[in-house]
Parts: sequence; C-alpha cells; structure tokens
Amino acid sequence: MDLLTFARGPALQWSVAIFFLGVLWRLFGVFLLRRKKDYSKPRSTHLWRGAVKGLIVHLWPYKEFRPKVVQSYILGYIFHIGLAIVVFFFVPHILFIKNIIGVGWGGLPNSFIYITGAVTIAALVAMLVKRIANPVTRLLSNFDDYFSWFVTIAPVVTGLMAAAHWGGRYEHVLAVHILSFELLLVWFPFSKLMHTFFFVVSRGTTGALYERKGTSA
Amino acid sequence: MNDIDTEHPLDLESKRVSVKKPEKRYDMQGEMPDDKRVQTAMRNFVRDFGYIAATYMESCIHCGACAHACHFHEASGDPRHTPIWKLEPFKQAYKREAGPLAFFYKALNLKHKVTVEELQEWQELIYDTCTMCGRCTLICPMSIDIATLVGMARHGMFQAGLVPHELWAVAERAEREGSPLGATPKVFEDRIEWMGDEHDVEMHVDEDKADVLVTMSSIEIQKYPESMAAMAKVLNHMGLSWTFRTDGYEATNFGMLSGNSAWQKDMSMKMINAAIACGAKLLILPECGHAYGALRWSGANMYGKPLPFEVKHISEFLAEGLQSGQIKVNKVDRSVTYHDPCQVSRRGGATEAPRVVLGALGADLREMKGAGLMNWCCGGGGGVLTIHRADDLRHKMFRIKMEQIEATGAEDVLTACSNCRQNFDDNQEYHHWDKTAHSLLDLVADNLAE
Amino acid sequence: MAKDDDKEQTLGEVLRQQGVSRRGFLKFCATTASLMALPPSMVPAIAKALDKALRPSVIYLSFQECTGCAESLTRSHSPTLESLMFNAISLDYQETLQAAAGTAAEAALHDAMKKFHGKYLLLVDGSIPVKDDGVYSTIAGKTNLQIMKEAAEGAAAVVAVGTCSSFGGIPKANPNPTGAVSVGDLMKSGQIATKPLINVSGCPPIPVVITGVLAHYLTFGEVPALDVHGRPKVFFGETIHDRCYRRPFYDQGKFAKTFDDEGARSGWCLYELGCKGPTTYNACATTKWNGGVSFPVESGHGCLGCSEPDFWDKGSFYAPLSTGHWGTAEGIAAAAAAGAAIGIGAAAMSRRHQDTISKEE
Repeated sequence: MDLLTFARGPALQWSVAIFFLGVLWRLFGVFLLRRKKDYSKPRSTHLWRGAVKGLIVHLWPYKEFRPKVVQSYILGYIFHIGLAIVVFFFVPHILFIKNIIGVGWGGLPNSFIYITGAVTIAALVAMLVKRIANPVTRLLSNFDDYFSWFVTIAPVVTGLMAAAHWGGRYEHVLAVHILSFELLLVWFPFSKLMHTFFFVVSRGTTGALYERKGTSA
Repeated sequence: MNDIDTEHPLDLESKRVSVKKPEKRYDMQGEMPDDKRVQTAMRNFVRDFGYIAATYMESCIHCGACAHACHFHEASGDPRHTPIWKLEPFKQAYKREAGPLAFFYKALNLKHKVTVEELQEWQELIYDTCTMCGRCTLICPMSIDIATLVGMARHGMFQAGLVPHELWAVAERAEREGSPLGATPKVFEDRIEWMGDEHDVEMHVDEDKADVLVTMSSIEIQKYPESMAAMAKVLNHMGLSWTFRTDGYEATNFGMLSGNSAWQKDMSMKMINAAIACGAKLLILPECGHAYGALRWSGANMYGKPLPFEVKHISEFLAEGLQSGQIKVNKVDRSVTYHDPCQVSRRGGATEAPRVVLGALGADLREMKGAGLMNWCCGGGGGVLTIHRADDLRHKMFRIKMEQIEATGAEDVLTACSNCRQNFDDNQEYHHWDKTAHSLLDLVADNLAE
Repeated sequence: MAKDDDKEQTLGEVLRQQGVSRRGFLKFCATTASLMALPPSMVPAIAKALDKALRPSVIYLSFQECTGCAESLTRSHSPTLESLMFNAISLDYQETLQAAAGTAAEAALHDAMKKFHGKYLLLVDGSIPVKDDGVYSTIAGKTNLQIMKEAAEGAAAVVAVGTCSSFGGIPKANPNPTGAVSVGDLMKSGQIATKPLINVSGCPPIPVVITGVLAHYLTFGEVPALDVHGRPKVFFGETIHDRCYRRPFYDQGKFAKTFDDEGARSGWCLYELGCKGPTTYNACATTKWNGGVSFPVESGHGCLGCSEPDFWDKGSFYAPLSTGHWGTAEGIAAAAAAGAAIGIGAAAMSRRHQDTISKEE
C-alpha cells in the first residue's frame, strides 16, 4: 500500500473514528458533571436570551479593552476565517466532505484559496511570535498550546506545498497533507482545540449567569 | 493560636481595619505533613468541579487577555498576576482528578502533582492579588468566570490551612464572635444606642415582628457608625416597620472570602434565621460589596431552598423608595462620580440603582470611563484589604482609580460599599490625596426632605 | 518479421533496406531527442550512434497479460516511426507476432538466448504469478517464473512493458488470486537475476515512449534516468495534471459536474468526475495517442491513473481524488458510541470521586 492510499484509507478511517470518540468522550464527560441548583431569586429568567447574548457580545472585545487586545483578535479572526475558507471552499475539500455527508457546495478559485492559505499561515506565525514574545502568554503556554499550533498550521503548509508541487512528488506531499490533517483530527479531542465546542458552552454559561443576575453585559 | 485576641489583636485605629500587622506571619494553619496538606487541597478542589467549573477549565486557550483586565497585573506587570494563572493548581487538580481525561493525565503524569511550595506560592496569587472583581471575565474571549473559580479554589486552600495570616485571623474571629472586626452583639447594641442619641434618631433593635430586617457590615459598625443612623433615618422617614437584630446583623462574610464553606453558611444563616424569626418580608443589605454576593446570590443556596423574603442592597432599596416617592429628598448641588463596588455592580447586577438615587438627588453625575460594567476595582475587595503583605501593590494599584476619578473632574466620590470606602481612606492617607469615597446612604439620609 | 541471420547488421543498414530515407531517419532522431527533452544539438549525435548501432536482439516475453501492450505497439494504421523502429530490431521471440509455434518457437527462444547471451534486451509484458509455485500461468510446461528466471539470466537489460510487468497491474489487483508480482519485485526478492530494469508503465504504455526508451538505450548504451518507480524520468517526470490543457479550468475552479453538463461540453476540468491526472505520471498529455490525435482527458474522460502502481485498487475511477476511502460508517458510529459511553463513565467516576471525598472530609 502506498502512502497516499494509506492516508486516504485506513489512516483516515482511524483518525475520524478517534476524533468522534474523543470529542464525545470529552463533551459527555463535562456535560454530565454535577449541576448545582441555584435557589437565589433570579432577576431575569430568560436565560437562553442571556446565553445567546453572551455568545454574540464576546465576538469582539469591549471598547475599553480594544487597545490592549484588538490586535490579537484581528489575528485570531484572520486565521480562523482563513482556515474556514481554505477548509470549506477549496474544491477538493468540498468533494472530500461531499463524499462523506453527501452534500456539496460551490468552491472558490484556487488562486484565492492559495492566497488565503498564505495569509492564514502568516497570521498563525504572528500569533506564535506574540505568544513567545509576550511574558504573560509565555508563562501560560504549555505543550498543548505549541503542539496545537503545529497541528493547525501543518495541514495549511502541506496543503500549499501540494498545490505548489513543492517539496517532493505530488502524491507524497498530498499524502503528507492528508496525514497532517489526520494528526489534527487525532489530537483535537484531547487538546485545547476543543474550544471549538467549549467556547459556545462557556460563553453561553456566563451569558446566562449574567442574565440571571441582571448584569448589563 | 488559641488566644486569638492576644495573638492577633485588631487594629481599629488605622484607616483600614484589620488585625495588627503581625510580627511573625502564620500563613499556614494547623499541623499536618506537606503531603497531607497537598492532598487536602487537591481533594477539596476536586469537590467543587461541577459542570460549570469544568466548562470554564476546558475552555481556556491561554490567550492571556485576562492580564490586561486585571488591576493587579496592570499595576505590577508581573505575568504571574494574570488572572487565569492564579488558578493553575486548581486547573491541575481538575485535569488530574476530575476532568474527562483525568485518567490519562494521572496515569501518564501529564500534569505533575502540585507541591506544597507551589501552593504556598499560589496563596499569594489566590488571596493577595485577586479581589474577585470579575473584570477579567469581560475581556475573556471565552468569558470564563475566573472570580468564581478563585472563590472555589479558596475552599481547598482553606481546608489545607493555606490562608494568609490576617484573613484567617479575621475569619476565625467572625466565626467565633459573630464579627470579623470585633463588632460583637454587645458592641453592636452599644453603638446603635450611641448613634441613636448622637443623631437623635429612633432606633429599633430586636423587635419581635418587623417587615424589614436591616443588617450592617462590621466595617460600618466599627468605622462608619453614622451609617446606622442614616439607615434609621431613611427607614423612619418612610414609616416602615423595621428592626436591627443582635442575632443577625453582620452582613460581611469572611467565611466566604477565606474559603470556609461551613463558616460561610453559619454567617449567612444568622441573618436568614433572624429575618424569618421576625417575619421580615425584606432584608436590607448594607453598603458592602461581598455581602451582596454572599446573601443575595448565595444565601438561598446556603439555606438549601428559596429564601422566604426579599434581599436588597441598600442602593436598590433607596432607588425604589425614591422612584415610588416613599423617600423624598432635597436636591444636591454637587458634581459627583460614582465608584461601582464590583460585587454589587458587575457581579451583582445592581448597577442602575445608584444612578437612579443620584438622579433623584439631582446631583451632576460625571461617570468614570467604563463606569458600571467595566469599572476598575478599587483593589480592596475579596479580603485583600486585610492582608498587610498586599499593601504595597494595593497602594500602587489605586493610582488607576485616582486617575479615573481625577479625569471626571467631579467634586465628590460616592460609593455604596464600606470596604471600598476603607480602601479609599487608606489610600487617601497614603497618596496624600484630597479625595476619598463617601457613602451614598449618608448622602440620601443627609438630604431627606422633611 | 526480421529473422536472424548470421551477419550482424547495423541499425542504419536495416532502416535503409526498409526504404527509410535519410530525411525520415533524421526526423525520427529529432522526434526522439525532443521526446527525451534533449537539446536539438544532440540530434546528429543520436543519428550517428543509431546508425552505427548493431541491430539489437530483442526477446519479448508475455506472461499474465491481455496483449493490449502489444496491440498498442502494433495497431498503428499508418506506418509510423515506432513501427519502423520495431522493424529495425531483431525481435527474436514474440508469441503473438512470430510465425513459429510449438517446439519451433521454443527452440527459437533458446537459440536467441544462447546466441546473444549477455547482450539481448528482454522486453516483458504481463505480471508473473508466484503463488502455488506459479502454476497459474505456464508456457510449454514451464511456469512464467521459470521462463523469466532463465531469460533474465542472459539479458543485458530488462524493459517492463506495461503496468502489469512494471507494477503487477490488473492481475495483482485485490485479492490477487495468483500472487502476481512485477519484474522488479522478482529482482528485489532475488527470485531472478538483477539486471538494469526500465519500467514503461501504462495500460497500455504509449508506443512512442517504448521506442523512445529503446532508442535511448541503443544510443547511449545505458539505462536512462529513472524516477522512484523505475520509470524513465523524461516520460514520467510530470503528471498528466501538470501538462493538461484543461489545467487553467482547475485553477479557476471551473469543473464539469457530470459527463454531459455545460461544463463538460465547455471542456472544463474533470477533477470532480474522478480524474487521477494530479497523481499520474505519464506523457499522455504531451505525446498523446494515435499519432497525436487525442488522449483520454481530451476525449472527455478523466485519467484513470493506469501508469501508477495499484491503480486498480485506489478507489472508484469516478470518485474525485480528494475523497477518502471509507470502509463502512459503522466503525465511526461505534467509535462515537464508545466515546459517549466513556464520557458518561468518566463523569460518573468523577461524581463518585467527589462523593467519596465529601464523605471522608
């Protein structure tokens, strides 16, 4: 079996299985922990409204904090949106998804995808430099932070390499690209990448709490 | 530490009421081997991990944004003062003992076991450098409620005997005497009588039946007793049936601040039982920040069911009285700014009430930048004010507040928290400032329209 | 068929006998040079070398194959340079083409092997079955493996013609009942002598590629530069996709969605219809087929990837290249269910842990 066949076959099946196993494990493991009933008299009972509000309000920093954090937010958005575009609007990726879920959609021109990929890489590198340069984030960072960064940037880099036919024979680079994505899938459930799911819960929880207390958020 | 009065004498003369600065610090309580201390801390950390705490633990992406929202970090520039870093041992307990992947973390030792030295280092981070003001939650892209988590982490620290000397001393005194600062029922009663005479106001103490139970903070009883007179004046003005009760008057809750849940419950239950005993429909909490969080938002949970009476902060009560016309006031022709006590505004939700009061008084309100939700903490809350070790940073940090206030150009500073007032007084002395914070209640009481 | 005679002729002599003009010969040399990406200045050198080269003896063995490769080489409707080239060599044994049969044919093979021992070029098409002692394909009572072993012994070099002899091809496709292997595999496993080997893969290979390889061998007397799969780099150096005239549509994101939609009619990229061009190394897009008339992609069908190892087992010809190969969804469902169960278990354990602590404290 050649590397590409391995990457597209058994490696893909295993990594997707591990991804689902891990994600559900972690979500169930958290959601089913004890919930204490709050007997205090609520100011508002529209907790769902608060949760949604919390979700939306934290999309962008409050005015007071902008000078300090807006740069990080912009970089963060660039690479998150960049990843989304590259993942969901590159035609081969759409075909990959369509093959699994049966639904496809229109893609964007490759040249646009390549530029987006390059910008995404630049933003990710800038984020890493910031993380290391800033004493606060340097202190907070652990292996998870750095490795998650690596598994995030690796598929973008290998993807661009494959597209540019650089770094080896196309089918090998393509295989490495697929394998790097599979590494991301396997690492995902056991790492900070789970914030993809938890950010909704976390923001929603605080939003509901604030609504309950009547804190004007 | 049996004789707490001689070992930890109170210092009621300084601008900030606490125990006297200890010559030798006892920042570790009880005798137990290091192993046991660590184990106790970890086990008690683990007890607190419900769904909400776990969600927050899982969500952090180590972005470090919270550092910028924290006055301690902004004043010190020390990365260790980053809010989420203050929870590191707590987080490790979660990962090793309670999270869904705990098995991995423990079996593979991915998160090393915390040492007693680390916990000692974190004592400073969990107690000295966090007022649980909750400002970091607002900057957090995941909106993690770090303040609540710090409150939880203090439970484990207390059980492990790792509370800062002064905070432990006042909490212990509160549990034993009913007040952290020596405002025993006897002292309380004497001071009510004194204020009644001094201000010629009718006082109600230990009434069997009353619609309103009024509580006080020991800071007010000991340092700002005029608040008691002011409270009486307003309630008499409204013609309400009210009372102070010597079996339930102390609104501060050092059980909560130090991290002893059993003591927290004891302290809350005194007020709850007193209110039930006199059939009160309303319990008024005094000008005290954490008292509001302790009873308004945690009281029912200590009680185990919904409280059979309303709980209101004095600012909420005044606002409603002024809006309904039950309280009539003369206009105040001053420019003022209002300092939001974190636990009442940001974390309590009673942000609008003081604005309503100042509006009714006709004062020229000049808000600070980010007033209300975003307000900078004065730096005295969460028990920090009692800790001598924390003084330097607290004084340094207060500059943020001073600059904010100076920028408004207001003549007077008002607040509705006696602990904030203490901190303002202390910093006024330290910085030789011409301003300090005054009581919102006093302002209303002084301007009642007869 | 040119039968052997004792007088060894040079290639030039043979071609002239066949009526090939000097002009035609030079044209052939020029074509060969350009195919092999050699500079035009090399053309006289090639011509000189080929002209003087001895008419080589070639033995062409066929094993598990479909004769498609031989068809590809011979079924040209007009006399082509490839066919001339084939006429020029001394094809001493080719089952399909030779007149002799039975023992006479076998004798011819043995004569050639003996006479030109160490000098003949061995062309092989078809894979060699090795399972059960190779009983699945025999000729004159000998297994393919035995024949291959004997023939390889005296070969100067071996050219594997077609994907079957290069990589195992269709006989090797799952579940490979005969245990088919390629010539290269036999050399690697030491079952036959290791000789210089050139894989000219393709199902079938492009005729001009075969003659190009032969011309190169005759001209330079050595094996050309090969890629990782042992194929001449000059012909297999780039993918179909890289050289495809439809490539601009790929870059623009214009894809035919079905074989008869507007995109298909407009000649858009066939990636979505399963074209394997991006991972297929061959010269189809440049040399084309049938005398440069067309090639599969040009005629509207995606590349099957026939010149690549195991092309038959790489999923549907009509599944886009980027799609994964899924066994069944059950595995994923089972993993998800297991994950949920472990999560529930973890939460329950955590709760019990808390209860125990609460009780003990």
